[in-house]
Amino acid sequence: MDNKIKIRFTEEYGEYLRDESRQVGFADSISFVKSEEEIISVLKENYANKIPTTIQGARTGLAASSVPFGGHVINLSRMNKVNGIRYDEVNDKFYIKLQPGVLLVEIRKYLANKSFITDGWNDSSKNALYHMKKGEWFYSTDPTEISATIGGMVACNASGAKSFRYGSTRDHIQSIRAVLSDGDVISLRRGEVISDGRLFSVTTEGGRIISGRLPKYEMPNVKKNTSGYFNKLNMDIIDLFIGSDGTLGVISEIEIELNKKQKSNWGITIFMPDEDKALDLVRALRGEKIFCDRNAINLNPSAIEFFSHNALDMLREQQRVNPAFATIQEIKENYHTAIYIEIEDDSDDKIWAGVEELGEIIVKLGGDEDATWVANNPTNLEKLHSFRHACPECVNMQIDLIRKSDSRITKLGTDMSVPDNKLKDVMKMYNDGILENNLNAVIFGHIGNNHLHVNTIPRDMDEYNRGKELYSSWAEKIVSMGGAVSAEHGVGKLKVPFLQKMFTKDKIDDMRKLKKLFDPDQLFNRATIFPYVESKGVK
Amino acid sequence: MKIIVCIKQVPGTNEVKLDPATNTIIRDNIASIINPFDTYAIEEAVRIKEKMGAEIYGLSMGIPSSQEMLREAISLKVDKAMLLTDRKFAGADTLATSYALSLGIQKIGDYDLIICGKQAIDGDTAQVGPSLAKTLGIAYITDVSKIIEIKDNIMHCLKITDDGYEELKVKLPALISVVKEINMPRLPSIKGMKHARQAKIEIVTFADTDANENKLGLKGSPTKVRKTFVPTHEINSEIIEGTTEEKVNRLAEVLNSKAIRKGM
Amino acid sequence: MASIDIIKEQCIGCKKCVGACPFGAIEIIGKKAEIKDNCTLCGVCVESCKFNAINFEFDVVENVDISNYEGIFVFAEQRYGKLKTVSLELIGKAKSLAQELNTSVTAVLLGHSIDNLSKELIAYGADKVLVMDAPWLNDFNDHVYGEVMVKLIKDYKPEIVLIGATSNGRSLAPHISSSLRTGLTADCTVLDIDKEERLLLQTRPAFGGNLMATIVCENHRPQMSTVRPKVFKPLEPDYSREGIINILPIPTPVERFVEKIKNIDNNETISLADADIIVSVGKGIGSAKNIQLAKDLADVLGGALGASRSVVDSGWIPYSQQIGQTGKTVAPKIYIACGISGAIQHIAGLADIETIVAINIDPDAPIFKVAHYGIVGDCREILPMLIKKIK
Repeated sequence: MDNKIKIRFTEEYGEYLRDESRQVGFADSISFVKSEEEIISVLKENYANKIPTTIQGARTGLAASSVPFGGHVINLSRMNKVNGIRYDEVNDKFYIKLQPGVLLVEIRKYLANKSFITDGWNDSSKNALYHMKKGEWFYSTDPTEISATIGGMVACNASGAKSFRYGSTRDHIQSIRAVLSDGDVISLRRGEVISDGRLFSVTTEGGRIISGRLPKYEMPNVKKNTSGYFNKLNMDIIDLFIGSDGTLGVISEIEIELNKKQKSNWGITIFMPDEDKALDLVRALRGEKIFCDRNAINLNPSAIEFFSHNALDMLREQQRVNPAFATIQEIKENYHTAIYIEIEDDSDDKIWAGVEELGEIIVKLGGDEDATWVANNPTNLEKLHSFRHACPECVNMQIDLIRKSDSRITKLGTDMSVPDNKLKDVMKMYNDGILENNLNAVIFGHIGNNHLHVNTIPRDMDEYNRGKELYSSWAEKIVSMGGAVSAEHGVGKLKVPFLQKMFTKDKIDDMRKLKKLFDPDQLFNRATIFPYVESKGVK
Repeated sequence: MKIIVCIKQVPGTNEVKLDPATNTIIRDNIASIINPFDTYAIEEAVRIKEKMGAEIYGLSMGIPSSQEMLREAISLKVDKAMLLTDRKFAGADTLATSYALSLGIQKIGDYDLIICGKQAIDGDTAQVGPSLAKTLGIAYITDVSKIIEIKDNIMHCLKITDDGYEELKVKLPALISVVKEINMPRLPSIKGMKHARQAKIEIVTFADTDANENKLGLKGSPTKVRKTFVPTHEINSEIIEGTTEEKVNRLAEVLNSKAIRKGM
Repeated sequence: MASIDIIKEQCIGCKKCVGACPFGAIEIIGKKAEIKDNCTLCGVCVESCKFNAINFEFDVVENVDISNYEGIFVFAEQRYGKLKTVSLELIGKAKSLAQELNTSVTAVLLGHSIDNLSKELIAYGADKVLVMDAPWLNDFNDHVYGEVMVKLIKDYKPEIVLIGATSNGRSLAPHISSSLRTGLTADCTVLDIDKEERLLLQTRPAFGGNLMATIVCENHRPQMSTVRPKVFKPLEPDYSREGIINILPIPTPVERFVEKIKNIDNNETISLADADIIVSVGKGIGSAKNIQLAKDLADVLGGALGASRSVVDSGWIPYSQQIGQTGKTVAPKIYIACGISGAIQHIAGLADIETIVAINIDPDAPIFKVAHYGIVGDCREILPMLIKKIK
């Protein structure tokens, strides 16, 4: 191998063929780059030799984007420095410049301690840090997987529970640098490169002008979406790269925006007597007026989450048999469906006023104010977080158990979102489908954005196959409801067929043309977003 | 039956930190919380109430702001609460604390069971429970991990010990201190919190008691703090560097050499 | 009434006391310190003031004639004829305290069919053993043992009483101290003598181990301390040592309030207390299923598995395996901390350990400050490789 950074793939690197989707790929070589220069040197060589390249972060993705499909793997997990802080005095805002391999958990730790490794920082960054220490700041994007890299989060436009209030990754990215397949670099700052209608033109650092036309397709009218390239009239070209699943370039630097931390942070789990009432409560919580004689609740939750009846049953059962879940809160027998919300505000009293209103709505809906868990301090909030996280953990543990008897079986999880007015329709679709196919499934997730994760735990191959078919039929219905087939995990390799239900072949070909403007030989993340088609001249 | 739960307000867990540069305590945003061990005591009392009916009193000695903590106890289904607060109670060691609490208990009167947390996380002495029982002249069992049954004024329970468990029985009234195995404390409900906000906390000062001043507070405390200092942990340490494989090799080498030298 | 006052003329408003106060009860108002209502009179601030501007006054009451008290009692805890090792550790410590005070060490042995234990206590340093052997003392009972101890202390008037902080000891000691209305200091880690005042200096961790406090009991006797197992080392036993064995007459049995129905003993494979090697896990191990990695390492090394509080709180490992201030104190030869951040509360549970190894992904984890060998890395990656290597 010519390039010293590139290492031939041996058994030792086996784990780099996989990610959390449990798919296994194949590759010839791998590099653990530490700087943009190293990325450039590897890519230049790959470009010259037409070697396909898969980009990896912490491999926590669920859609197999980072599972290699031959060629080379660029792993960015060791490119994990914080490059500096910027303070925008006018708007009293802080921005942090990060290498792509910094983990979310590290960002949170740096911000909590207000302590950074400042080697190589310029004076203005150090000065910004000094100002930052006077307040409390946080990065609002909160996917459940906190060991994800920021690069990975940008690649799939990750969101999470609090996206209900704060939006997804996209909404807090100020600038990025990306290395293109030929080794040239593109630097994009929000607000600087805007398309004129559908026409856009951007200049690389190497002086090349890339210009073209954005495809003519409509994105679904949902708040959370990462199904194919972001696309609309007069759009910011930085948004094209965010959520592009690593198919356009290797992101080498990211500037994220921070939010001011609120003084009070509460969590409340509410148990409703049936699912329909729980859905009504969700509508009320997001500000819809559900009773003509009452105003909407004035609570502004940052997250609205859902636990289906089956999910609660699963947790009850695990609590009984598995000591790992013995310390989660006890779920009473008559608790049917749960809604979990988080609220952030500048005082406990303000939150309490909203909670009192919430109590009245619960009673009006036939619920019980006593069937609630309120956490108004960090210790108790942590308990509700563990409860929320117990759901996916429980599913994963059961899947691991089943895989011991049949390793072909994997978790079947949906990641689709629909517009607000389709909430009850989509719930009915999920429930009917599970019932008709007699599947062992639980539903939980970000119901505030009508974005639920249906997790099926197949008991055998037959159920696995039935589940897969069901999911595929759901994808079609979701599209007809005006929804997105992937809300936050990205299309990756697993959801390529789903994307084809959402867009016609022409539209997907348009997307591919767009990709080729930046990556003419289609070397990046082969088989991701687009089905792999062998073309001449490319290995 | 009537149950009294003793509750202490303590600084929030892990929040008492020292500034390594100045060796002073960093007190940013220290929230006061119910001593975590006492939350198990509250929960156990509430479970007894739900099972067989009981009236629960929360009792605390502390600074005036401890009232809010007692309010939290009421949101967790404690029925009534009393706070002993007076400058004369301040500076108490475990003996003087037990005496002060006994005054409150006598005011409440006619109890069947007193439940304390195993210990408080700020002092970690685990002395107040037994000491209080002794002051009141009643039986006590420490480290209770399960109440098996309360019937005909007799309580059957399990106590956790260094060697395992002991199954014990005791005639009420008695005092028990509970460990965290005993239950999983619930969180307050909206209903509980609404109720707590309106509840009245009974405040008891020195003047409200017929206490012997010499047994209270600093004056009534046999033990005194002579000095305090910051502990140091200075040792020679080696951070093993290299690739993961090199690190593992070096560590295996260290473990082998230590184990062999000791003839293990 | 006891009080803490700021002597305004001497206070320069340096704020040292503000930082020292564990309760946040001091504020600087107009360049002078002021004590707020939430002061607990703990006295920590007095030490911190370099200008003698804090006056701490307390009245002395209930004096006992302390000159009548002499000698050291050690409660020799045994269970069905087997001595607890902490009792032997305490006798060794008592021996050195007694030398400074120029007095003797008495072991108090209560139980049934315990004849052979007296000689052992003498071999480990006791000058005298008081033995009470009766069927009704066969099972430990706080109240029964407490009343007997109180009677003996009243009769013999020792100036110091040391009790092991075992589960029984921690329950027994406050019974005795309350009955005698004297002071008791729990979980001492250092015991010393102030020769001038003939006082026992009892040092213990306070505020979760962030501070150490030296506590004295000036005007009451006896001075009582409990000490956790493994904090002190026993003396080498000398079976040729001679001592007095005093078999006490058996009084009328004490009434029992609490009755034992049965013992349910644990049969742990290797107990944490006896293990030479402990592999201990913290939250950094990631998830419950990774605990097996640490368990495997412990098995290969012939050691025991321990855990930090957060792991126990998560329910991944039972409380009996918790190490730290609210768990067990351990003193293995090798301690391997996997994914443990090393909060001071955890460090408080590590007694005299020859080799501490820390593996943690966070290079700033405080555990590295106390570790002899540190590896910055992911346990999930390192442990499997290490197990393979050692095998």
